[in-house]
Amino acid sequence: MTLYGYAGKILRLDLTNRRFSEVATEKYQAWGGGHGLGAALFWDFCKDKTITDGRHPANVCILATSPLNGTPVPSGGGRCEVLGVGVGMYPVSWFTRSGFGGRFSTMLKHAGWDAIVIEGKASSPVWVDIRNDKVEIRDAAALWGKDTWETQHAIREFMGAPGGVDNAWWDLNPTAADALDPARDMGRTTQKPAVLTIGPAGENQTAAGCLLHDAGNGAGQGGFGAVWGSKNLKAISVVGTGEVRVADPKALLRARHVTQQKYVTSITQPDFASWSKIGNVPRPLFMNPPPTTERRPQACQGCISGCRARFAVGYGNESTCQETNWYLPAVRRVAKSMEELAEINLRAADVIQRYGHNSFLFQTGLHWLEYLYEEGILGPGKAIPSNLPWETYGTLEFAEKLIHALSHREDIGADLADGWVQAAYKWGRGDDLRTGHLQNSYWGMPEHGYDPRAELEWGYGSILGDRDINEHCFNIIFTNVTAAFAFAKPMRLEARELVEIISEKLIPYATNRPEVLDFADANMYSEDVARLVLWHRHYTRFYKQSALFCDLRWPDFYNTNTPDNRGATASDDAGEHIFWNAVTGEGISFAEGIERGRRIWNLDNAIWTLQGRHRDMVHFAPYVYETRFEKGELFPFYMWPCRDEQGEWHYKDLMGRKLDKDKFDEFKTIFYRMEGWDVATGWPTRKLLASLDLDEVADALEAAGRLGVERS
Amino acid sequence: MEQRDSGCRSACPSCEPTTVSRRDLLGGLGVLSMAAAFGAPVLLADDRLVIPNSEGFLVVDRKKCQGCGTCMMACSLAHAGVASYSLSRIQVVQDSFADWPDDVLLATCRQCQDAPCVQVCPTGANRPDARNGFVRRVDPDVCIGCKLCIQACPFTPVRLQWDRDHRKSQKCDLCVDTPYLDEKGGPGHVQACVRACPVGAIAFTRNMPDQTRADSYDVNLRGAVWKQLGMTTD
Repeated sequence: MTLYGYAGKILRLDLTNRRFSEVATEKYQAWGGGHGLGAALFWDFCKDKTITDGRHPANVCILATSPLNGTPVPSGGGRCEVLGVGVGMYPVSWFTRSGFGGRFSTMLKHAGWDAIVIEGKASSPVWVDIRNDKVEIRDAAALWGKDTWETQHAIREFMGAPGGVDNAWWDLNPTAADALDPARDMGRTTQKPAVLTIGPAGENQTAAGCLLHDAGNGAGQGGFGAVWGSKNLKAISVVGTGEVRVADPKALLRARHVTQQKYVTSITQPDFASWSKIGNVPRPLFMNPPPTTERRPQACQGCISGCRARFAVGYGNESTCQETNWYLPAVRRVAKSMEELAEINLRAADVIQRYGHNSFLFQTGLHWLEYLYEEGILGPGKAIPSNLPWETYGTLEFAEKLIHALSHREDIGADLADGWVQAAYKWGRGDDLRTGHLQNSYWGMPEHGYDPRAELEWGYGSILGDRDINEHCFNIIFTNVTAAFAFAKPMRLEARELVEIISEKLIPYATNRPEVLDFADANMYSEDVARLVLWHRHYTRFYKQSALFCDLRWPDFYNTNTPDNRGATASDDAGEHIFWNAVTGEGISFAEGIERGRRIWNLDNAIWTLQGRHRDMVHFAPYVYETRFEKGELFPFYMWPCRDEQGEWHYKDLMGRKLDKDKFDEFKTIFYRMEGWDVATGWPTRKLLASLDLDEVADALEAAGRLGVERS
Repeated sequence: MEQRDSGCRSACPSCEPTTVSRRDLLGGLGVLSMAAAFGAPVLLADDRLVIPNSEGFLVVDRKKCQGCGTCMMACSLAHAGVASYSLSRIQVVQDSFADWPDDVLLATCRQCQDAPCVQVCPTGANRPDARNGFVRRVDPDVCIGCKLCIQACPFTPVRLQWDRDHRKSQKCDLCVDTPYLDEKGGPGHVQACVRACPVGAIAFTRNMPDQTRADSYDVNLRGAVWKQLGMTTD
């Protein structure tokens, strides 16, 4: 039977014994791809699901593609999901996820693989060389110690894949005779091998360790670089000359065209102020001025609107968003011009990419270090000793020394390597999580800039799950509305119209129930908001993290490029399920995709339960309950649609409030009841798991004494 | 979209007639008119084949391309119903570690006037299609997989592809043979890559780019919008 969209097999790497084997994808097809596929593989292959540190040898790390990868589904063809137990979270590290873009998942599919399961630990550094069906686990002694870019260059050189673009076709056949034999012909390509690698931060097993591919595609959250480092796995390189079989190519090309014509603003006469996620012209997401106009937008495979750039100046290539401003607060102190500010920031982005270091830890962490230094707590001879040249804070040289130290467990990096909250307690600075000087709000991870005291679905979704969700589905409301207020731009949609359009697409839990988007004080712990969070958890688990639609471009709820302001999400002509069906031939409805997400989310919760989760642990850092949200990362106000006492919708500033711990606890009960979880523990019940065809999971929980109880 | 109708002011072949091209030169000799009159290749005494000019060409802007590969996947889907880089008749080569504009190359078939790939084909499988604007096409039913055409293409990377499953050569036909496109393809009709490109970095033109210059198919397709987006139009 043809599994349209799938390569049909999964690569299982046994690093301990340096062997590999194949697993048929068919058994896992019901899980979709990406996160669903990866969670099911983790369930089957991780033999000890009680581990809470990803560096444990029993941990299993999975790279999982989607049927849509390697196809031109708009902003759905180029992502890759990473799963496993993470590193550096607090109080424990959960089974978690990360993701990255670029070319890797496309190449993996074209090489004939849907996923890679990484098990065991090599006795010495290795890297994995995948060329179509041929897999070699190679010695990586010569690569260990190299940064992420040097590693990729070295692997290219080893493989005979030259740099630059003026190159002939690369024949993958070992000999000319192979090329002549239809059974052995490996084909040819013009493409570079896609390499995913760790840098020094991962080699030294620091929680900041990323997986990095090409110049700037990083999987940062979860500390998967440390997971690879613990397994002595330096890199995986893949090159493929095959194909992705698509069930209905005409329908796929048609829907892609509809997206471009109907939902994306015209490239020749664009509406620069349009409100949409998928519908914008390519505009790299820098957090400071680009250094030159001599650049191009740069995109992941299949993307309809690139969010990065490559420049003529020789730095900053493929960095975007947070990487381009992790050092900004410091640079502002020293830069004498915008040009200098841009250059230091983008060169600092290059530094962090090369070390394979997660820039996001500095989102709140850099402010904290700066505070500790200025208060005389951190520095040479201080309570927190540090010999870094803090007097040069803001310069590129300091950035390099800081990242070097943190990547090599030197200076303050020795303590930060195992987690920032852990370091805070070790330094006797636990109170900083109470005052908010250190704003690592959920599971030890930094607050994202979208404060949980204001943007409820972001905060609730993060703490009810396993990490900072980093899902901008509803966050686009804040971006559009707040920017309109801040820069006196047109308010393209008034609050009532906006929430009504969105709620039309909240199928099936909140269809046409705009009240779920009301984050006003009176509604913030309500069943309404719980229903929104429920939809969000299930939508993202399937469409965003399993089908792998890009977070930046999907969902497209409202879209001012269309006559009725309705976006592509859930639409009959270019909705997520339309693309899924065109590729796989399955014929699911949009709601059926949400139901698949529910199943995946519940498998996740079963794994967290085995790891030791209990509802009593599910709380934010103390500052979220004890201090008010007074200072925004981007703007001095936080606009969101809310109802007034008369039930009228307005955009309202949500700054200035805090969460009530008891009321949040009551909110959890509402949410758990909606999910069918035991409200006393948060554990899934047998009835729920059986309804999801997860009886085997229920058996495992029961055997562990952690099966939820039905309560009236 | 036919580029000459777009009102584009960039320095592309549609808007700026080239100087004396090889076509003009041969046309002056009457050879091309003879070929056109017959509507078929004409074999000269020196065994050289003179073939009618293609009535369509793809031009690209390597400074504009966002490297998403959508054109490649759309191409192979439209022709073969599968998404594949190796089967794409347009190749976007990129190096993540190179700097703009040398980080991207769009390698399209040039529909060459003298078409060396046509010249060497021993079976006539690779020939100008008289019914579709003399686009140089490989007929898979006639191709014997000898790869002579691949060896004859003088450009890097070679603009023909090897279909390893079917053991045939293939090349850009401007979407004449696209069973998986809703609309008709070919000169004057739809090209899957042109349509799919999100930034308009590929265009169809009826004007033959300068055959004497290697870079004549790389044109400026950026306009005022590009400048508004903060990127150079030079």
